[in-house]
Amino acid sequence: MLGRPEPPRSRLGVRFAAVGLVFVLVIGLLTTRLFYLQVMQGGYFAGLAEANQSATVALPAARGLIYDREGRPLAINVPSYVVRIRPADLPYPNRDAVVGELSTLLDIPSSQIIQQLDSYANRQFDQVQIASDVPSDVARILIEDSRNLPGVAVTVDERREYEYGSLMADVIGYNGQVSASELADLSGLGYQSGDELGRAGVEESYESELRGVNGQQQVERDASGRIIRTVQVTQEPQAGDSLELTLDVQTQQEVLDSIDWALNYVHLQRAVMIVMNPQNGQILAMVSLPTYDDNQFALGISSADYQALLDDPNHPLINWAIGDQFPPGSTYKLVTGSGALMDGIITDTTQLQTAGYLEIGSYKYYDWNRKGFGLQDIYQGFAHSSDTFFYQLAGDLGIDRLAQWAQQWGFGARTGIDLPGEVPGIVPTNAWKESVFNQPIYPGEVYQAGIGQGYDAVTPLQLLNAYAALANGGTLYEPQVVNRVLAPDGSVVQDFQPKVLAQVGVSPSVLEIMRQAARDVVTSRTTTLNLTDEPIAIAGKTGTAEFGTRDANGHLPYHTWFVGYVPNPPNAPFDASATNSQLAILCFAYASNTRGNAAVEIVKYFLQEHYHLGIDLTRPDLLQAGFEYAGH
Amino acid sequence: MRVERSQPTALVTRPQTGSWHEFDVQLAFYALALGIIGLVMAWTNSPDGALQPGSTFARGLIWFAVAIVAFSLAAAFDYRWLRTFSWLLYLVNIGLLLVTLAVGTGIGGVQRWVTILGLQFQFSEISKVLMIAVLAAYLAARQDKLGNLSTLIGAGLLTAPPFVLVMIQPDLGTSLVFGAILVGALFLCGASLRWLTIAAAAAVSALPVIWAVLQDYQRQRILSFFDPSSDPQGAGYQVIQSQIAVGSGGIFGKGLTNGTQSAANLLPVQSTDFAFAGLLEQLGFVGGLVVFLLFIGLIWRVLLVGWRSDSVFGVAFAGGVTAMLVFQLLVNAGMVSGIMPVTGIPLPFITHGGASLISTAIALGVLQSIHMHVSRAPW
Repeated sequence: MLGRPEPPRSRLGVRFAAVGLVFVLVIGLLTTRLFYLQVMQGGYFAGLAEANQSATVALPAARGLIYDREGRPLAINVPSYVVRIRPADLPYPNRDAVVGELSTLLDIPSSQIIQQLDSYANRQFDQVQIASDVPSDVARILIEDSRNLPGVAVTVDERREYEYGSLMADVIGYNGQVSASELADLSGLGYQSGDELGRAGVEESYESELRGVNGQQQVERDASGRIIRTVQVTQEPQAGDSLELTLDVQTQQEVLDSIDWALNYVHLQRAVMIVMNPQNGQILAMVSLPTYDDNQFALGISSADYQALLDDPNHPLINWAIGDQFPPGSTYKLVTGSGALMDGIITDTTQLQTAGYLEIGSYKYYDWNRKGFGLQDIYQGFAHSSDTFFYQLAGDLGIDRLAQWAQQWGFGARTGIDLPGEVPGIVPTNAWKESVFNQPIYPGEVYQAGIGQGYDAVTPLQLLNAYAALANGGTLYEPQVVNRVLAPDGSVVQDFQPKVLAQVGVSPSVLEIMRQAARDVVTSRTTTLNLTDEPIAIAGKTGTAEFGTRDANGHLPYHTWFVGYVPNPPNAPFDASATNSQLAILCFAYASNTRGNAAVEIVKYFLQEHYHLGIDLTRPDLLQAGFEYAGH
Repeated sequence: MRVERSQPTALVTRPQTGSWHEFDVQLAFYALALGIIGLVMAWTNSPDGALQPGSTFARGLIWFAVAIVAFSLAAAFDYRWLRTFSWLLYLVNIGLLLVTLAVGTGIGGVQRWVTILGLQFQFSEISKVLMIAVLAAYLAARQDKLGNLSTLIGAGLLTAPPFVLVMIQPDLGTSLVFGAILVGALFLCGASLRWLTIAAAAAVSALPVIWAVLQDYQRQRILSFFDPSSDPQGAGYQVIQSQIAVGSGGIFGKGLTNGTQSAANLLPVQSTDFAFAGLLEQLGFVGGLVVFLLFIGLIWRVLLVGWRSDSVFGVAFAGGVTAMLVFQLLVNAGMVSGIMPVTGIPLPFITHGGASLISTAIALGVLQSIHMHVSRAPW
């Protein structure tokens, strides 16, 4: 015994007793606690455990479909595996492991999933969508491994499929999942986490028609959030209504083909082409380039791809037909000419002396034709697009009177088209100049306003709408891209009638003069060259609008425009008194900087395609870069 | 009796040899009963089929068998060799913890588990029993200076490296077990009460420092313990779900495998740290009492081994084992019933974890060895 006389126990007895006492106290404490929880509060907790098991979950409503005017499906719903997380069911300590596995299987960065989850920090019982359109084999893996993926739910949902992708994207738009921050505002409208929300195009503007009403069902869930069975459907979902657009996919394709044809010869940073029925404001085609594929969004666009779209200097997500305003150039002479005729400054027989330039003080205001055109009446002045002719009219009208006529034609105000993101344009007035620049408007600026330069800024759609009013006898319609709203059973919920915005306050006789002048633009060949040789008696106006900053040679970049209308029937001879045109068209070639008017060439190509003219009068040579033409 | 023959009695310089007649059947019985309850819980936690390879039950069965072997070997082994080789044990202990830090894996970037032959193993569990042996050996070596401050400091310095190594895994819970072992061993074998009290006061005043070095998630756990509803889905989630499981078990429980909370994963890490909640849900208050009674029996026998022991090593070892078991019982059962913060401390036998079970089995085996090698005092 190592010489130790006594085992230690004798003097340690108290300590053994103390340890035993501590242990008894521990057991007593735990037993008391269990007695409280299990015996006294057992019923209460049993109720909670039961409540844990059942949940009310949304039965998503099918989103309404979108058709073109001929009933061709444009946007449909297709089944898709969707992966969601209910944060409440994902214990914090498991989060990194679960997110890591999802990240690997779904090929989504962990940080993105974490960010998504964190944004729902205050809505822990919501389903947070992590991925859609998951391949079925991946979905199967996730379902089989669900024991290790608490809170992760894999369901078969419907997602959007856009049948024509980028062809129709600017009009149709796309949907995106409602974000946690939006939900705060939208939950009053019945939105739930995971719901889709229109983000652009008619998907956005007709959101309330398309979305339908989510149903509700009571389900029994297992502890990891998987639905074991449906207890009862407390509310059936109601599918959303469908849209029938006024657009025609065929025409839209021809429009896109026309621009694509031009792109073989000239690089256009942006381009817009719109076709409209002047009789009712219905848009038949609307193309804005560059564009994007809305299926990218339907499939769940990656943040890198989305950022690339946002970073593109030509903003593919913006519909340039309505989303920005540009100087209209000589197309605006419709406003100046009709205003001067109405105000009696000229009649259709008044001749004005044109010249290479007009002088105000020491400033010279040049005509695009540095030789001038000599004596010109309104027909000739418009046809030749003589700047000095319209300088004089603008000077006589004054800026405010000119602005009043511009507003009559619908400029300076949104057309009210049923698409989101429209801008109003600018019609400069004295008051406007004062308020923006704190200066009065200068006489030279009035000249520029008379030829669609300077402060004048219009959307392509406004400009087309003005010429459509010219074609139809003076009625400004609210342009529309949706023709009818249809219930899921096909019945008509709403049939949109043409909506008159205003009657342009220009007399029928002045309108007829301007229609004839517009036809003379084409027949004079000055700015439209061989457009008149097409077997379609189109009337219209070209525009060349300088903008931006001068290059090394002192040239300003310029847009080219053409806007006009086609007789009815299209092969009818031109009649200035006719107001029954069924087709107005606009083409806008942003910064085209071409020798000829790129917009005219594109319109020519379109007419040949659309009316199957069987001839080719296009002049690719005019699409070469060059400043020597710069015709108006 | 084959084991007895294989004992290296010839090498022992002391006359006493182990006697299997002194084998404490009661101690073994309580441990076995608790182990079987743990296996039953593993069965109920293997919903994909308990007999599937790799199921919680299948793994539990393997570990159970290994634990019985470990227990038997430890019991057959003359515990006095532990004193001789205590420095080696200490080095092995530190080595295992360093290996864990180097190659360990775990959820959320912690280094806690080491995979051996496809089975995840937590060396810090083994470290507990090694530390008990090392401390007991140290205290036995200083049996004449047990009341001195130097002994207290020495024992503290000995415990500090594993404590820190486990803490930076980070595994605050297990490192606190080391603290409990230290206190238990010191207290029971007669360390100075005055210095123990002063050391405890110093430890309490160091709490703000510890708070500063805690990981965010650990702070969150502690905070959410004081007010679970403040963070019902984060750290408080486990506390709430666990209480629901326990409470809904009622007096007699929902019956084995009928636990709705523990049926799958509502209890977060229920197959490990929250296994006792599953037991309380399925077997109710009565089931909990049975477990407690078995623990009472077990601790009683452990303390009795220490009491009957003729050596400081034996007393200190019993003190360490008692402290380890009681502390883990308090923290784990307290955690699942919502009166203790959520830490990764297992409940011996009930929690499914091979290392914990083996560690406990070795500790109890050594106690058997102590019991069998005691010179019977005539009392």
